[in-house]
Amino acid sequence: MNDAVIPLLEASDLTVRFGGLTAVDAVSARLHAGELVGIIGPNGAGKTTFFNAISGVIAPTSGKLIVQGTVDLTGRGPHHYAAHGIARTFQTPRVMAEMTLADNVRFGMQFAGRHRTPLAGLQGEGDILEMLGLGALADRMAADVTPSQQRLLEIGMALGTRPRVLLLDEVAAGLTEAEVDAMARRIRRLRDDHGLTVVWIEHAVTTLLKYVERVLVLHQGRKIADGAPADVVRNAEVVEAYLGDEMEHAP
Amino acid sequence: MSFTGWAELLAGGLITGGIYALVAIGLNLQYGLMRIMNISHGEFLMLGAFLTWWAHTAWGISPLVFLPAAFAALMLIGMAVHWLCFRQVAARAPSVEVFEARSLMVGFGLMFFVQNTALLIWGGDLRGYEYLAEPVQFADMRFTANKLVLFGIALALSLALIALLKLTLLGKAVRALMQSPIGAQLVGINTRRLHPLMFGIGLGLSGVAGALLSMTYEISPSMGEPYTVTALIVITLGGFGSIAGSLVGGLLLGVVEALGMHFTSPSLKMLLSYAVFIGVLIWRPNGLFSR
Amino acid sequence: MKATLANQPWRWLGLGLLLAAGLPWVASDFVSSVALSCLMYIALACSWSLFCGATRYLSLATSAFFGLGAYASATLLDVLPWPLVILSGAAVASMVAVAMGAAVLHLRGTYFAVLTFGMTELIRHAVTFVEKQVSGTVGRVLTVVPSNETVYLTVLAIAGAAIATAILVKRSRFGLALTGIGADEQRAQTLGVDTRRIKIAGFALTAAFAGAAGAAMAVRWTYIEPAAVFSPFIGFQTVLIALIGGAASIGGPVVAAIVFSLLAETLRLQLPYGYMMVLGLLLILCVMYLPNGLASLWQRRRHE
Repeated sequence: MNDAVIPLLEASDLTVRFGGLTAVDAVSARLHAGELVGIIGPNGAGKTTFFNAISGVIAPTSGKLIVQGTVDLTGRGPHHYAAHGIARTFQTPRVMAEMTLADNVRFGMQFAGRHRTPLAGLQGEGDILEMLGLGALADRMAADVTPSQQRLLEIGMALGTRPRVLLLDEVAAGLTEAEVDAMARRIRRLRDDHGLTVVWIEHAVTTLLKYVERVLVLHQGRKIADGAPADVVRNAEVVEAYLGDEMEHAP
Repeated sequence: MSFTGWAELLAGGLITGGIYALVAIGLNLQYGLMRIMNISHGEFLMLGAFLTWWAHTAWGISPLVFLPAAFAALMLIGMAVHWLCFRQVAARAPSVEVFEARSLMVGFGLMFFVQNTALLIWGGDLRGYEYLAEPVQFADMRFTANKLVLFGIALALSLALIALLKLTLLGKAVRALMQSPIGAQLVGINTRRLHPLMFGIGLGLSGVAGALLSMTYEISPSMGEPYTVTALIVITLGGFGSIAGSLVGGLLLGVVEALGMHFTSPSLKMLLSYAVFIGVLIWRPNGLFSR
Repeated sequence: MKATLANQPWRWLGLGLLLAAGLPWVASDFVSSVALSCLMYIALACSWSLFCGATRYLSLATSAFFGLGAYASATLLDVLPWPLVILSGAAVASMVAVAMGAAVLHLRGTYFAVLTFGMTELIRHAVTFVEKQVSGTVGRVLTVVPSNETVYLTVLAIAGAAIATAILVKRSRFGLALTGIGADEQRAQTLGVDTRRIKIAGFALTAAFAGAAGAAMAVRWTYIEPAAVFSPFIGFQTVLIALIGGAASIGGPVVAAIVFSLLAETLRLQLPYGYMMVLGLLLILCVMYLPNGLASLWQRRRHE
């Protein structure tokens, strides 16, 4: 790792506590431009809470979040994060039901994405919808499309803000194996073709490990591994945390 | 101020507080259980008062005897109102938040409707009658008998309801529903029947409060709103959903008001009440007694 | 394409304003006063729904802003020219709205509605108390007042401005932000909307019109007291009209305001309470069967 390169996003000892429960326990992680990082961990590991903390939805109880080495976004509201190029999706699609798909994607462009440079190859909402395979549905109401299409729209909305970092929260949940693979390839293309830095939480561990270069493992709020998939898979602590089915089939 | 003076002041506050508690418990039952913020609650108190007044002046029925009838009448009205209006709103609302907003609006509509119906029937003048107005001596303190009766019954009913909720199967079902609407339904608790019933009981309590008030004070069709507001303040203080909190909060508010009125001017009473109300809602929206 | 209300709002607005402007000179006093109350509610309901309709924050604070405008008017009538009196009414109301909003807009739903109601009553009682302390009496008489025609045209201007503002907001980025807040506030935040600032701005905008309306109506009533100008019924009726008309639309509240003002004036003579009963019943029926208001009836027809 080249220490001279300033990390795009750096979380230092990030902790999130709810009353007596510590959901995220002093997690430190660095994200460099152009990385495709996966986050895995058993249920209740704190993955989504971690996402909430690094997108401004929840203010961390302690720790710091620094963007591009200079901007301290700790505790600031989500719209500040969006303005600095950090976009996210939600596990359950939260689309704006009374607007068309095109308008949903355009929403982000009107606010966070307004003064940001468009992503390579994704100038307008038409391009984003095409890329996601939703081009034909651009003028349909968001409430009228299927849940899996809404999940794709979620990604489209996040892309509308013209982000540098895209946080994807279980976008492949409930899909068949073939569909998960298709989604993974799409995510890979977001990084390869459009220059995004992507962080991806997923339960479909096998597929994720095939496509990412680096994976963080969270367990009970703590980070227990951070490295290449091949190394992480052999990590004893990780195997133990996971009660193994999926790990057995890992590459 | 002499000891007697203090005692009279506090007792007076408790008496008012008893009514506040009764009305608040009814409102809390509706909000805590069904998320219906019934802003027309006070109008049904007014109906109870007028029905009792009418029974007494037209038919000579003693208010005390009429109390159960007032309760029953208002309970039936409550069940009808729930069946006709709120059930439909619940069926069509896509989320709890939307349901709350819509039932708030239905409450407004009811407020307009009921208050003006009363104005139409009975006119806007103050009405009253004399009942048990003889003063009673109680260890140097003097109260009118009707006020003591009012307090006794209000307190008894409040405690009875709390007992009902804690000790009976019905009560346990209600409490379960309050804590976990879905979980309770999964174990077979029938919300379709329970909701109108509890809504009715809530209005019934309000009606009884009105009946009791008619014994002691003059009544008018516009008397309901201040009680709704006070009930709102009480359930905010005591916590939404906590019935015992409404009892304690109601009594407390009555005493605080009595003390406030005595030591400052009466016009500050409402000001202070509202200031407290807003303060609690902003800083401790879960009530003063939540963790 | 047919020149419907939605396609060419400016044309219709201009036409409506022109027609309404001529009224005091051709119609009787009675008709004029009906029109006046109608215009007042158009201003109140339209400005209410431009914020509350989009964001779904149920504000019951209209009476507070109206009353504050009225008191600003009563206080400044002797020292400022008429247009500035109206502007001060709007300004005072807006400033209070900013303060109230900053304190209260982080809460949603029932809490917010009940809180705005509580604050309105708090302001009412505070003003009552202060008036009693300072002048001994609760009411105020306005002596040197502009003519009825001036007041009429002023309220007409305020109503027109409210409708115009609603049209402009709806087409603007600000309006989109408001709609986003109403659709999913947190989602809108993650897409870059500074929801706190937008909400406070919207709330202040709504207050400005209510304050202006209060300032104008105060001189028409010539005697004001807290119970009258801060009456919760002003707020309730505004909300009723906006909801029955359809809070997310512009034409809805306007039509509803006209219908209800007419109903009020005709029924008030024969059935003073009947009008209110009808209003209440209509609201209940609307919430039950037409939750998006009457406007959803003709909007649906447009989509088909």
